[in-house]
Amino acid sequence: MKALENLFDRIVQRVNINLRELEVDVNPFIKELIPFGQLVKFYSFYGVTPHHPLDFQFRHSSLAGSYFLGKCRVMNSILYKSDVRGDELKKKDDVFRYAEYEIPMSEDERIEIEDSFLIKTLVHNFSHDPETLEKFFITNTVSTHYANIHGSPTDGSYLGPFATVDLTTMNDCVIGAFSYIQAGEIGHLDIPPGTVWVRSPGNFNFLYRYPQDKLANYIYFTKGKPPQGVFIDFVEDRKEAFQRVFESVNMEPSTSVPKSASLDRFAVIKPKTHISDNVLVAQRAYLQNSWMGKGANAQENCYIINSRLEGFNVTAHGAKIIEADLGQNVFVGFNSFLRGRPDCRLTIGKESVIMPHTIIDIKKPLSIPAGSLAWGLITDASDLAANSIPLKEFAAINGKFNKGELYFEGNGAVFTASFRDRIHHILEANGAFFDGKKNRGHAQKNQNISFNTIQPYPEGEQEGVYPTIIIRP
Amino acid sequence: MKDYLVKDLMVPLSEYATVPEGSTLYEAVQALEKAQEEFDHTKYKHRAVLILDKNKHVKGKLSHIDAIRALEPKSDTDNGIKHLIQFGFSHEYVNNLRKKQRLQGAPLKDLCRKSYELKVEDFMQATAEGECIDHEATLDIAIHTLVLGNHLSLMVTKDKNIIGILRLSDVFAAVFHSMKECSV
Repeated sequence: MKALENLFDRIVQRVNINLRELEVDVNPFIKELIPFGQLVKFYSFYGVTPHHPLDFQFRHSSLAGSYFLGKCRVMNSILYKSDVRGDELKKKDDVFRYAEYEIPMSEDERIEIEDSFLIKTLVHNFSHDPETLEKFFITNTVSTHYANIHGSPTDGSYLGPFATVDLTTMNDCVIGAFSYIQAGEIGHLDIPPGTVWVRSPGNFNFLYRYPQDKLANYIYFTKGKPPQGVFIDFVEDRKEAFQRVFESVNMEPSTSVPKSASLDRFAVIKPKTHISDNVLVAQRAYLQNSWMGKGANAQENCYIINSRLEGFNVTAHGAKIIEADLGQNVFVGFNSFLRGRPDCRLTIGKESVIMPHTIIDIKKPLSIPAGSLAWGLITDASDLAANSIPLKEFAAINGKFNKGELYFEGNGAVFTASFRDRIHHILEANGAFFDGKKNRGHAQKNQNISFNTIQPYPEGEQEGVYPTIIIRP
Repeated sequence: MKDYLVKDLMVPLSEYATVPEGSTLYEAVQALEKAQEEFDHTKYKHRAVLILDKNKHVKGKLSHIDAIRALEPKSDTDNGIKHLIQFGFSHEYVNNLRKKQRLQGAPLKDLCRKSYELKVEDFMQATAEGECIDHEATLDIAIHTLVLGNHLSLMVTKDKNIIGILRLSDVFAAVFHSMKECSV
């Protein structure tokens, strides 16, 4: 296992060099987070479809339990149970629009992961950086449990558990646990845990920060210990169900799936779950006793339990919905945790937007009116009053706005429109609007994926490291 | 012109206003007042209180501005506001929030009462390496150090221990005295 140990040390050194200005040493955080023995235990797998370029390169890396789709290259890296989903990468001759520029793609875009350690991390979407359109890179970076690197070229950075970087180019940054960053381009920033920051320079700036003492109950991560808190307990309690789907070679769907819908074979579906037309259920999603209305989706690491989603609902990567009823077109952002109780359900009216990284954890019934924007920590009606606003009212803001721990500056109409457009784009990309002929998306294209498995050296100096593998048509 | 050394101009620690760590703002102000009454070497008065740790070593300095700053309305929100600039909010936005918070803040009388509760180490300025000077250093070096660091005073050290304080006012007085002696 010497090669694996050397690889780990090499990655840590490279990340620390990049973060020296912030005086951050990632080693104590990650040293024993994943015992090296675990990296030998799990196979890695990649998807083959006629809809995505087949071009994988794996060199001098450990890929335990990780999944790859689309054009990817991994070098000198350790990936543990991570999903690298390249089904939204740009294709040759696509035209990327940025400001007044229209930039044609000279080749198919590729995800390139080098000198990085990703733990249970999701990599998805495509590079939004006009300077690196053909290459969505992740280099010299460490990311921890359930982090999302979404359309964000990243170099020399560290992401805490449940952190998300979305549509942002990031250099030499530390992103604290459960922080969500969508800011275009950032560098040399140390973002505290529980920061929700959405910025479009010249248009708007939205910032909410969780009270640290209350956030610690949900996610707490310190040196030398694994992440702790409600979020971790919640996923650990359901871990066994995933072990069964990963151990079986062939899985028959446990519920009927319409022809226009897609249920990934690496998702967990518990009884009495209903899947309607155009529904997309991604790998590592967990559905139990829930109703998925037409065009609804459950992306990677989503949990939907004892809930009803009326249709065209976006449940973004890592979001959890428990004992809740959601009207049509409700958007639930990345890693949000919405927990009603059997005797006090959570109701969210149609066309509401639940901001990424929102926690709604109630002990009395709570109803969010249709067309609301909600954010932050909400445990009862008074929190809801402090941390929500009708979308129409928010759209009328032009200038300065402050409500509780939310700070907003800029144009509310542009902010709400950008969310509305993005939700529409996600539904479109997922195939929610498929009419039998037109508007195919992931739900239709990802129905028939072949999965091939690859494995590392089982013993010796190279134990846990995969041999160089190049897979092409 | 006389070759002044720092030790000739400094105020010895024994003559300076000091309080132990853990003292309140009120106790620090009292100590300053007492030192000013007892110290009449020059017309320039003490403008700071030194904070001593349990071994009687200087831990930091509390200046007038630090004391006034401690009386400003403060809350978690205020601390948060300070960091908004880093997240790209405009100065106008941040100043507006501060103004709003100040208007909502408690009256001065209540804040004065709080001065019995505020601990000096929470708002003192810790001694930094750049604001120390050896007691044998010359006036030239002292002037250079004061100007370079934009300091109002320097901690005077002997064998790494702080033995006094060199104030800008004392340096200015020495320079002014030398000027007057010039025969032009």
